[in-house]
Amino acid sequence: MKKTIIITVVISMMTVLGTNAQKVMDKFMVQVDGLGCPFCAYGLEKKFKEFKGIKEVKINIETGDFSFSYPAEKALGLEAVEKQVEKAGYTPITTKIERADGKVEESSGSLASISNDKLVSKNLKVAGNCAMCEARIVKAAKTVPGVAEVSWDKDTKMMAVAFDGTATSLKAIEQAIAKAGHDTKNFKATDETYSSLPPCCHYDRIDQ
Amino acid sequence: MKQFMITLASIVALSACKPKQDLPKEWVLEQSIPLKGVNPIGITEVEGQLWLSDGDHNRLVKINDQGQILAAIDSLDRPMHIDAFEKVLYVPQYGSDNIVSYSEGHQKVMAIKDSLDAPAAIAVFDQETAIADFYNNRILYFNGIEWISIGREGKGEGEFYYPTDVQITADNIWVADAYNNRIQVFDKKGNFLKILGQDQKMNAATGIYVSDTEVFVTDFENNRVLVLDMEGKMKQELKDSVHKPTDILIMAGKLYIINYSTGTLNSYLSQEVKKETNF
Repeated sequence: MKKTIIITVVISMMTVLGTNAQKVMDKFMVQVDGLGCPFCAYGLEKKFKEFKGIKEVKINIETGDFSFSYPAEKALGLEAVEKQVEKAGYTPITTKIERADGKVEESSGSLASISNDKLVSKNLKVAGNCAMCEARIVKAAKTVPGVAEVSWDKDTKMMAVAFDGTATSLKAIEQAIAKAGHDTKNFKATDETYSSLPPCCHYDRIDQ
Repeated sequence: MKQFMITLASIVALSACKPKQDLPKEWVLEQSIPLKGVNPIGITEVEGQLWLSDGDHNRLVKINDQGQILAAIDSLDRPMHIDAFEKVLYVPQYGSDNIVSYSEGHQKVMAIKDSLDAPAAIAVFDQETAIADFYNNRILYFNGIEWISIGREGKGEGEFYYPTDVQITADNIWVADAYNNRIQVFDKKGNFLKILGQDQKMNAATGIYVSDTEVFVTDFENNRVLVLDMEGKMKQELKDSVHKPTDILIMAGKLYIINYSTGTLNSYLSQEVKKETNF
């Protein structure tokens, strides 16, 4: 009887240890725009170390692909991942989670499809420095409902935007960009938001 | 005729006696060597051999002059701007906030009382050590007796905005003040002395190397390396085959530049260059 109990305890312990060793993990794939500088990119990685239990972190600075795995039991969601990327000062373009149970969750930005007769095209000065700034500016403009096309040139600092004139205005787009941390011709980002941008994004501010 | 011959001979003799005029020297690209599977961030020398830190792949590699890997130290955590002194390799680990040293196969973690946040570079000079403490916006300097902290976050004189490289010379401490786009120079008590390169419109001054006569700085985003004199006057701009440069070294008279994005090592020779003049 004593022998049976000992064997049972040993088997139970081995089962528990085995389960822990093969922890069930979700896989996360984030495409981050503008990861041009290794100092900043490794900073993103450091920020994700705050997620205790994170494993298999991979980062490709050239393509902007950032991936990791995380214990499934913690049920980390798309929103939390994207928030953490933004907290580090970067812009998530797409996020995909492959759950351990096979389910796939995905998020990506999409632009509105607008008929040409409603389309208004404008050019506007927006302050910024680098590819990371470009990603942030474009993403901020895209969040405004009615925006159909947007691009920004880091050399000329000019943004070209096309939008549904009946759904939104240039003023609303400028406000969204300033909220993301970039001064525009008519709106200034708050000092707090500006300070939270990564070092390479600290552009010369526009006097208004 | 005799007079003509004498005159001609005199001219020839005078020409022969005329002292040879030294032409100005410039760094001339010798070759750009591909480094297979290496994205170099730091470069140093140990006994005439080049070592590179490969941050993306968490390792150091020793290479030959053709870029082939001869040895590697793996399992590091984002090694950045490395240095070496008396056969000891010093490695700042950006990901784990410490400095490790390697000597004859032994690894040692450097004891530092203050905590680091993303050390981006280390420099060692005799008994002195300096560390670029990236997120703390300071240089930690050990003068052989005690550690002192130099600088704080800011854009003024003696302030840093994310320092990424540092070098100690006989009299000074030189800092790549990366996102202030400039170089700053300090004495060994930590007093600010001067700023170099602020007029050059750099975008991320990430790497620095100081020789006896020249200061080299990598202008990362603009894909160039600037060669300045000791007072910051521009001497030369190196752009050919330079792609997201991260560090510089002079070894045995050759200048080496490492390119992060293309994974290449450029070598340069100092040569006399005839300048074209327009009259």
